[in-house]
Amino acid sequence: MISRRALLAGGAGSALALSVNPRIVVGQTNEPIKIGVVTPLSGPQEFIGSFVKSGAEVAAEMINKAGGVKGRPLQLEFRDEKANPAAATTVARELLGLGYNLQLGTISSTVALAYGPLMQQENGINLTCGAGTEKLNHENYTSNVFRVGDGTYRMRAQARFMAEKYPEVTSWTGIIPDHEYGRTVWAVFVDGLLEFYPALTGKTPTIVPPVLVPYGSGDYRNFITQMMKSPAKGVVNATYGGDAATFFQQARPYGLFRDRILMDAANEFIVANALKDQVPKHWTGSHWYYANNKSQLSQDFYQAYVAKTGNRMPMGWAGEAQAAVSAYAAAIAKAGSTDTKAVIAALKGLTWDTVTGPRTIRAEDNQAIKNLEVIQIEPAPGTDIGFKVSDSVQIPGAPVIEPATPGQKMALRTAS
Amino acid sequence: MTRDRSPAPAFLLTLALLVGCALALPAFVNRGVVFMAGIVAINVVLGLSYNFLFSTAGLLSFGQAAFSAAGAYATALLLLNAPTVPFLLVLLISALVGAVLAVLIGVIALRRTEGVYFAILTLAFSELVHAVIAKTRFFGRNDGLTGIPRPTLSYGFGAIDLGPGDRYYAFVVVAAALVTAVLWWITQSRLGRSLRAVRLDPMRAAFLGIDVRRRRLQAFAIAGAATGIAGGLGAPLTSLVSPDLAHWAESTKPILFTLLGGAGTFWGPAVGALVYAAVEYGTRSLAGASDLITGGLLLGVVLAVPGGILGVAVRLLRRRDPARSRAAERGEPAAPAVATRAAPAGGAS
Repeated sequence: MISRRALLAGGAGSALALSVNPRIVVGQTNEPIKIGVVTPLSGPQEFIGSFVKSGAEVAAEMINKAGGVKGRPLQLEFRDEKANPAAATTVARELLGLGYNLQLGTISSTVALAYGPLMQQENGINLTCGAGTEKLNHENYTSNVFRVGDGTYRMRAQARFMAEKYPEVTSWTGIIPDHEYGRTVWAVFVDGLLEFYPALTGKTPTIVPPVLVPYGSGDYRNFITQMMKSPAKGVVNATYGGDAATFFQQARPYGLFRDRILMDAANEFIVANALKDQVPKHWTGSHWYYANNKSQLSQDFYQAYVAKTGNRMPMGWAGEAQAAVSAYAAAIAKAGSTDTKAVIAALKGLTWDTVTGPRTIRAEDNQAIKNLEVIQIEPAPGTDIGFKVSDSVQIPGAPVIEPATPGQKMALRTAS
Repeated sequence: MTRDRSPAPAFLLTLALLVGCALALPAFVNRGVVFMAGIVAINVVLGLSYNFLFSTAGLLSFGQAAFSAAGAYATALLLLNAPTVPFLLVLLISALVGAVLAVLIGVIALRRTEGVYFAILTLAFSELVHAVIAKTRFFGRNDGLTGIPRPTLSYGFGAIDLGPGDRYYAFVVVAAALVTAVLWWITQSRLGRSLRAVRLDPMRAAFLGIDVRRRRLQAFAIAGAATGIAGGLGAPLTSLVSPDLAHWAESTKPILFTLLGGAGTFWGPAVGALVYAAVEYGTRSLAGASDLITGGLLLGVVLAVPGGILGVAVRLLRRRDPARSRAAERGEPAAPAVATRAAPAGGAS
């Protein structure tokens, strides 16, 4: 019979032993690392969310096939944010309640901004996969949200590239949707033009006020005739998706882009897929252009993506999802823990390998520094897809990224 | 002839049971579900205030989102820019903003229009509010306002910080219950009876000396105030407000709660809000199919069960035990027979 003293001593000893390192048990079980993916899976942004979803799945499968993170597999749980901040924060909270403190996948700027206070309050982390607002790492900076992809500075990179490629095109205007994203794109592009044209060509660019168009407009003809009168030889386009396709198609009979350089902000293949050989020759930004990246990781990821989805032309958001999943894997491996504070500390200053090459997260404002990519698309009548990528470049991110000013507005040059 | 017992005890018992269940919830579910329960409590107020307008006053509005957005933005702006204002006063201001906006819209919309024309005008005004919010820097344009803090509840000799744990959720539940009680009390009051008279026969009501337009404006303002408080409660819960709050799709939600739960009973919209949330939660991982399933279910219920879930329940109860069901139903704003007529009557009145 066990005496009361022995029972007490045994119990106290066991409690003491367990309290020394309770994570030993966790480490021994190889329990999955849970990551929540909240991205648009229905509605008008579903086509972007589908790249994020498949990209995250392929990235997790690749990591798991290679043994996981210190032997622990990644387990993804998906939720539809519907590109609506209220819906997004609701599902994010639901996942937090289920123990998914590590989340990724936001696309919309509004949603990404909403996540800052939410993640701080609920002790979670979000890695955004494409939100473009400069507020995220400036006036609305929070320690719990990271942008692992290119941020606002992509437009500065595109402006720099234009100064290098077309030094004679010194007058610029834009077709800008009258909302937050459009205004940000224009303001940052102008900032880049005003810095890089004088620095690289010795010329001061002429900034012609842009044509502001309503979001979701079905008829751009009045705006096109307005643009036809503009003396600007360069046009930056910030309309997006279906709006951009409508605008490009309606601009075609007017010959708006015949003698002008067209720099599109971020449509990648969206407009080209819609217009095929009717697409005007233009440059566009890309998060990741598979043919531009020859690393083994990028090629393996591309092959796995094609095998999984059948889509031979994945768009850059898939690469951003890969970067987010692999950032978590690298940070957890570095921290040796999935605890929120430990992962945040590990993500700050992290350098890790991605499909676009190594990226480094700036510790001050949680913004990744990465190579920027710009591709040129032009019509290719007679081919299956009707267009081709005729040129592509990579622009190092470090020389074009803006200074880190967390908690403060981004300082931008403006045309006098 | 027997005198009917007061319906107040049955109402208070139901309310106390609901509040008790809601307050006990955090002990059994995770914080994600608790958050969604808070949203349901707010949706209950939205649905009940809409039903007050629809079933009691006979007014069909497609623009209630304007009032909840107004209340939400008022609360958000005050909490962000004037944190010293007591939160109860903030909520009262949200109610006032909702009521004033309702009066402004109502004065114009009720002047010459009725029925479906009134509904379309409310929709148009709501879209105007949506556009103004989305284009005004003060309201944060498309990005809205984020980082809305959970408030501190100050009272004479101390303060309660509603930030930690489930305190704000508990506050939302209690506040929603109080607004519910006020709506019920107004429904039962002399004002409520005259509103029902206006709904049933505006010409006869006018003949009896009721100022029909004034009564309708009062009902619109009361519903606007309750909807404003609901919006105000939601802002610190979600910690953000965005122009989507004023989008027409948000205006359809209280209508769906009402049709789903049943317009003919006071608690119908509450049941509708609860069932709607349960369906949404049950289909949350079925991306794409979720909206389809939710929409299909709603369509099915609305078409197959015109009296709503609670309407059917009351009818079944009455068939089994006529005496008990009559007792249970006493004090409701409109009997099912009237309510089924109320829907078209509301639209045409």
